[in-house]
Amino acid sequence: METILQGLLDMAGVNAAVLFDGAGRLLAHRGKSVYDRALCEQVGGPMARAIDSLQLQHEDWESATAQFADGTLLLRRVDTTTAGPCVLALVADSTLNPAFATVAIRVSSNKLKRTLDGGGASSSVGSSGQASALGSLPSYSASAPGQPGGSQVGHPAAGSRPQLASSGLSWSRTGSGAVMAADQAAAAYLTACARELARHVGPMSKIFVEEGVRRVCPDLPFSLAASRALADELATKIDDEGDRQAFLAALKKSGGK
Amino acid sequence: MTELESVASIEGVSAAVLGDLEGTFLGALRTNDGETIAAEMGFVGSSFLQIGELLGLGPLATLAISCRAKACLLVVRPQSLITAVIAPSQSLGPVERAVHNAIQEWT
Repeated sequence: METILQGLLDMAGVNAAVLFDGAGRLLAHRGKSVYDRALCEQVGGPMARAIDSLQLQHEDWESATAQFADGTLLLRRVDTTTAGPCVLALVADSTLNPAFATVAIRVSSNKLKRTLDGGGASSSVGSSGQASALGSLPSYSASAPGQPGGSQVGHPAAGSRPQLASSGLSWSRTGSGAVMAADQAAAAYLTACARELARHVGPMSKIFVEEGVRRVCPDLPFSLAASRALADELATKIDDEGDRQAFLAALKKSGGK
Repeated sequence: MTELESVASIEGVSAAVLGDLEGTFLGALRTNDGETIAAEMGFVGSSFLQIGELLGLGPLATLAISCRAKACLLVVRPQSLITAVIAPSQSLGPVERAVHNAIQEWT
C-alpha cells in the first residue's frame, strides 16, 4: 500500500496521500514535510464525521473535492470486502493538476482495493484488527504532557472521549516529549507555522516548531496567546530579512496575534 | 438577483439551498427538502472546515461531491453556505466552473 501511496505523493502538488478506514483510523500514509503520521491521524476523526454526514444525502458518493484557500483535499471512496468502506485522501497545494489527480486517485483506489481484498496488506489494517462500520464516531486521542502517543488512532479507547481543551491536544510526538496544543485553533496554528517555515528551511521546520513551543511554553500546552512569541522565535531560523517578514505576515493571516 | 437565485439559474442546477455552517435553513429554490439539506450540508461544511484547519489549508471555499448518478456543490460564503444540487443528467465540471464564475462576480 505504501508503494501505491508513494506513487500519488510523487505527483506534482501532492503533499500527502492517506488511506483511512470507515471509522477514520489511518491505515496507510505517505506525506511530505509537516504532513506526518501524527497530523494525518488527527484528521481521521473529523474525516469520519464528515463522510458519515455526507452519506445521509449521498449514500452512493464516489468522490469529493474540497477547495480551500491554500490547497485542495481530494477524497475517493474505496469499497473493500476485508476492511469495509475506506477513504483515500490526497492533500495538495495549488500546483496540483486536477485532471491528472482525478485519474491518478481513481487508479490508485482500484489498486488499493485489490491490495486490501487480496490480503496482501492485512498487517497494515491497524492492530485493532477489524475496521469498524461507518457510523461509529472515533474521538481524537489526547494525552497528558509527557505521554507521547496520544494520537494512536489504531487503538481507540472504547467509550472514552477526552476533552481536548482540558487535557491538551498532542500536536506532535517527536523529540523528547510531545508538544501539546491547548485547543484546535492552537493546533491549526502550529501546523501553519510548520508549513510556512518549511518554505524557507525545508523539512526541519516541524522540529524547529517543536523546539520553539518548548521554549515559549515550557510548562503549558501551546495556546494562541503565545503565537507572537513563537512566530518571533521561529523567524530567527530564517536568514533573509524579506523572507522573515513574509513568514511573519503569513502567520498573522493564519490566526496569529 | 440574490446569490441563491444566481446559483439556481445556472444550467444543470436542479435545486439550490441557502443555509449556514450552523445548519440553519435560510431559503431554498426548487426543492421541498431545503431544511434537511441545509442541516446536513452545514455539518459537512463545518467538518471540512475543521479538516482544513488541521491540515493548514486555510478556510474552505467549495466542496464538490460526486455520486454515481448525481452531484452536489457546496459554496462557502462569508455568512452563509449555498448548496447546489446538480441534475443527474449533468456533469459536475461545467456547473462547478459556472458557479466559480458567479462567485468571482459576487466578490
